[in-house]
Amino acid sequence: MAVDVAASSALPVAVQPARRRALAPASLAGYAFVAPAILLMLVILVAPVLIAAALSFTDYSLGNPGFDWVGTDNYEKMFSRSTYTKMLTASATYVLVVVPASIGLGLGAALLINSLKRFGDFYKTIYFLPVMAALLAMAIVWEFSLHPTVGIVNQTLESGCGTFLEQISDWYAAGCARNFPLWFGDRDYAIWTICFIGIWQGFGFNMVLYLAGLTGVPRELYQAAAIDGADSAWDRFRLVTWPMLGPTTIFVLTITTIRSFQVFDTVEAITGGGPSKTTYVMMFAIYEKAIQHNLIGIGAAITVVFLAFVLFLTFLQRWLVERRVHYT
Amino acid sequence: MKRLFAMAAAAAFYAAPAAAVEIEVGYPYSHLFDVTYEKIMESFKKEHPEIQVKFRATYEGYEDATNIILREAVSGNLPDVTMQGLNRQAILVEKGIARSLEPFIAKEANFEKEGYHQAMLDLSTFNGDVHGLPFSISLPVGYYNMDLVRKSGSDKLPQTWDEVVTLCKEMRANGVKNPVFWGWNITGNWFMQALMWSQDEPIVKGNKVNFDGEAGLTSFETMKKIFRGCEMQNLSWKDALAAFASGDVGMMFWSTSALGAVERSKGDFEMKTAEFPGIGGKPKGLPAGGNAALLVSQSEDPERLQAAWTFLKYITSGTGAAAVAETTGYMPPNKAANEIILKDFYKRNPNKETAVRQLPLLRDWLAYPGDKGLAVTQVIYDGIESIVTGEEDDMKALQSDLVAEVGDMLPK
Repeated sequence: MAVDVAASSALPVAVQPARRRALAPASLAGYAFVAPAILLMLVILVAPVLIAAALSFTDYSLGNPGFDWVGTDNYEKMFSRSTYTKMLTASATYVLVVVPASIGLGLGAALLINSLKRFGDFYKTIYFLPVMAALLAMAIVWEFSLHPTVGIVNQTLESGCGTFLEQISDWYAAGCARNFPLWFGDRDYAIWTICFIGIWQGFGFNMVLYLAGLTGVPRELYQAAAIDGADSAWDRFRLVTWPMLGPTTIFVLTITTIRSFQVFDTVEAITGGGPSKTTYVMMFAIYEKAIQHNLIGIGAAITVVFLAFVLFLTFLQRWLVERRVHYT
Repeated sequence: MKRLFAMAAAAAFYAAPAAAVEIEVGYPYSHLFDVTYEKIMESFKKEHPEIQVKFRATYEGYEDATNIILREAVSGNLPDVTMQGLNRQAILVEKGIARSLEPFIAKEANFEKEGYHQAMLDLSTFNGDVHGLPFSISLPVGYYNMDLVRKSGSDKLPQTWDEVVTLCKEMRANGVKNPVFWGWNITGNWFMQALMWSQDEPIVKGNKVNFDGEAGLTSFETMKKIFRGCEMQNLSWKDALAAFASGDVGMMFWSTSALGAVERSKGDFEMKTAEFPGIGGKPKGLPAGGNAALLVSQSEDPERLQAAWTFLKYITSGTGAAAVAETTGYMPPNKAANEIILKDFYKRNPNKETAVRQLPLLRDWLAYPGDKGLAVTQVIYDGIESIVTGEEDDMKALQSDLVAEVGDMLPK
């Protein structure tokens, strides 16, 4: 019977009659089969979201016996206080930098590796290593490397002092005169350093997805394009590869954007949201308010806004997919 | 076979008292206190073999410590004894998590003679009941790398912040890249309180912010003067301590608590500590830092509670307190330790005596009342950070922003 249900729902034609006899034993069995999954989804996914949404209208503080309803106070604070403006700026900066950069680098690396006859696996491994490494552990490694005085990066930069480098770059000369940047302590650098780590960590994953996408591009299309006069590599990329990678790109874009919104480990381990809240991304704000300060109300409000962003992106993806980015 | 049986019985008998009572303990700042507890436990195990002490994962700092306890209170897995920052005891008492110690004190025959400083006990007394026993007390002091200070041409140590800034400039002119680190980021706003107490003003009065007046503005202006005048780098405190220990930083203003850790890790240079500078003269008061042992056990088992009390008393009196002074830069909360065990200790460790000389200045390390206490600390931290990073230049504007925002968060 289960087979029947599965088969009938797989065929669009069969859906109409199935709907008419909604209470037929066959479909009841179907509901019974999906019930555990739906129940679990309600309990561990939908219910917590609803609870968070409800809490966002309260001033609940962890450990208190009760709470008061405060209406939209928490949301008003979020859009009026400079702290939260900085939070949105930090998250937006991170997403807008990391997403294009890690997609671009991922695609570039995939194309280069795909064009290799040998050593492809070797490079794949190298680029994929940061993805496999725990970001938290890597954050600590970066913290050491970028340490203002004893870190390898600033030490290397210092060893270039007194050479021609000082003449060609004012930035370098200033660094030699006083000190090279505090990568995580200077508000002009911190968010970019965090972005850099995000790109370094994330683009290997996009590369693998693109490599998979590239195997799905039929050889014949390149031959056909060649016959039609697309001779240069750029033409082949523009006319065949890029359109054929459309579905992959949509997927990569959504995944990377959501992952970028979720950045937390590096911020928590290295900057703690500072300096001057320049790296105060949403996930960290939720953690700081709800977990560190025990202010569940405002933490829940940030969570709701965060979920709204992610939901919006997911719907955008659905909409784009339905607008036919698929050619095959 | 018989012998084997006897041995097993003996082993069981021997093991029995050790397994009799187990208590769990949590403490913060592993880099300061790991050595201290190691030392204390050595003698504690000998004197009280019947008590098994299990240490939980250490808290990162005082804010973190309070948080974890609040969360554990909700989820019902509190330890028996927890070490909490002096200014975070109030919230745990308010929420009924910390137990009163009076019943235990009443049972002690001569508790008065154990030598607890009244001033220090007062820090842990709420509604007339003692709720905690102070474990380690600190005050802010100045750490000086004398090799770098001498580069300025003299080895006179500054008495006021103006002199600090002047010294900075002289050091910078003589090639010291990093003349000062001023510990604004120590537990949120301890140094802000230090500047306020220097002028004999608390940072909060009841439910009202008290940095809205002249004293508050002077505090902000003083910080700005130090940060800008010395072109201080925005180092995280871990980086700063490491940089000072490696001999890169000329002066470091920080809690005396780190003295043990700095002395253990410092490079080859002469280090001196001296009294905390003041605003235009000697400070009129300084906030006490440090932590107290609280009994937060949820157990109703009298044996276990008694064991927790025994541990609490042991670490805060006599040998325990002496270990605190020997391994860290903290002052022991206990007269007995100061007078008997540590008799010539301060003669041998003059750097550790600086804080003791400042003891008459000891004031409360104030907590912000209400649920948002931790969040208020964060707001002030962010405000001070904006001076350090150069984001904020107008101290009057910053002051009124902070007063408004903090005022909003305190209970009405």
